[in-house]
Amino acid sequence: MVGSDYMKPEIRRILFSLAVLLWAVCLLYFYGSGRIVKYLAPDFRPIALCGGMGLAVLGSFNLLTFRRVASCGHDHEEEHDHEGGDMNPFASLLLMVAPVGLSMAWTTDSFSQSTLARKGLYDDGPSAAENTFISSVLPPLTMEEIEKSHRKTSDGFLKFDLMELFFATGDREMQDLLSGLKIETEGRIVPEKVNNPNGTRMRLYRMFMTCCVADSRAIPITLEFGGEPPLLPENGWVNVAGTMSFPEENGIIRAVLVVERATAAEVPAEEKFLRR
Amino acid sequence: MNSDAQQDFALAFLSILFEGAPFILLGTLISGFIDIYLPPGTMDRFLPKNRTLAVMVSGLLGAVFPVCECAVVPVIRRLVGKGLPVSCALTYMLAAPIVNPITALSTWKAFQGQAPWMMTGGRMLLGYLVAVGVGLVVARVPIRAILRKSLVDKMEKEPVVEKSSHDHSCGHDHDHAHDHSHHHDDEPDDSRLIAAMRSAQKDFVDVGVYFTIGVAITALFNTGIAPGTQWLDGLAGNTLVAPAALMALAFILSLCSTSDAFIAATLAKFTWGAKLAFLVLGPMLDVKLIFLYQTVLRKKFIVALSVSLFVVIWLASIAAQAWLVPTI
Repeated sequence: MVGSDYMKPEIRRILFSLAVLLWAVCLLYFYGSGRIVKYLAPDFRPIALCGGMGLAVLGSFNLLTFRRVASCGHDHEEEHDHEGGDMNPFASLLLMVAPVGLSMAWTTDSFSQSTLARKGLYDDGPSAAENTFISSVLPPLTMEEIEKSHRKTSDGFLKFDLMELFFATGDREMQDLLSGLKIETEGRIVPEKVNNPNGTRMRLYRMFMTCCVADSRAIPITLEFGGEPPLLPENGWVNVAGTMSFPEENGIIRAVLVVERATAAEVPAEEKFLRR
Repeated sequence: MNSDAQQDFALAFLSILFEGAPFILLGTLISGFIDIYLPPGTMDRFLPKNRTLAVMVSGLLGAVFPVCECAVVPVIRRLVGKGLPVSCALTYMLAAPIVNPITALSTWKAFQGQAPWMMTGGRMLLGYLVAVGVGLVVARVPIRAILRKSLVDKMEKEPVVEKSSHDHSCGHDHDHAHDHSHHHDDEPDDSRLIAAMRSAQKDFVDVGVYFTIGVAITALFNTGIAPGTQWLDGLAGNTLVAPAALMALAFILSLCSTSDAFIAATLAKFTWGAKLAFLVLGPMLDVKLIFLYQTVLRKKFIVALSVSLFVVIWLASIAAQAWLVPTI
């Protein structure tokens, strides 16, 4: 009540309704435009839609009834208030609207390279020590099973998720099976900034998201071109095929795909790996 | 802020906001309708006469009357004024923002892929135990050492009025103190509906302001824009320091318990125990609560309560990290 008791309740209701409606518009716009897929995992998207619709109802209802006299039915002889807030309503409106408005103007629906680096773009893959437990409880993997579960392209490459190749650095059994195998995969391509003395390498990555993009992390492997890498749009989607290897460099096992062909690819419907 | 930092901040900010806003709406709609439709004396009826049992039951009342920490302080202020035992009121105040279905749902949802049942269960259990512990201790402390002088004076002046007459127009019998001066028969239904929607909107804006500030700070740390990010990251893996660091963060961010799990879940570098500490302390103690508590409690008691909560939750989270995490 401190900051708002001097203000006419009608004005306060209008300001609060506008703040709520702006959030509603923001949620509904991102959902309706399809951009929500860049921000939230699938199971959170309908919740966001419901939230946007709920906010729209709440804000509209209060805006349309802002002049109506309403009683809660309680005794108001004692100190009692259902609408007064701790903060000046104009300050509340500004604090709720300004960051959302600025973010809507600033967002490009993607992270910059520096934040991608912070989210693991140039981190090493998991070590074998981290995966000992998983390896020990799973049955032995065979080449027949791999060939059965992965589609083969017309030119003889087995299609793999980047995630499988990334996590193979922590699984000696997978490394043995995949080493020397002809593999095709896809992801975003960026320059390689670690362990690239001859400038012949690039990095391929895809983001893995559990709930929202703020908790996502990069899943990368190294691409070795054996010469100057081809000109492909930086951070663009590419389809690469080549021979898989797991060399130990500076004491760390890396997933390296020796590339035979690399072409620009369509952006997939679901850009990020999702929790299953 | 350069353009890269702006796009990073905006992406992280909006994604956390989209994730948490629906849960805040759910919580504030419920609290708004409770505020208008629930008679203030209703909770008294749920409490047993035995003091220890009453405290233990008070810790579970949030499951029936789910309110977040911002909403609970005015509620308990009103309830204490009407004769609810202080130990029960404080237990409810500390536990209700955590031990309630909305917080459980949001925590479970936010921690998908990160042992959600473990985090949700751990949070509920630790929150409940800490709140009941405080209630049992407070039950042995003189009321004047706990409550503001003005509140005690008011209670001493008006006990007979509050506890005597129960022959009121509602027509139902009560055998205990009962604040019941609402007169719902006089009010048209749509009038109360409008009041409930206004109350819900007011709660949403109150919580939304703090949530926005919290999300903005989190987005700055999440994307490495904020100064001190590397220092904070450096603490993340330290079993002893990480919980204290996140408890300090929870204190500063002052997030709502219905949405704080979405922030905690993004703190990927921190230990499970540190996130648990963040999620248990935040709804019990933060900057805004310090101000709200002063409307009910004495300053000395707030200091003692704050230090106790910090130490107990810190130790409990370290123990949980040591004993529970290997089983996940």
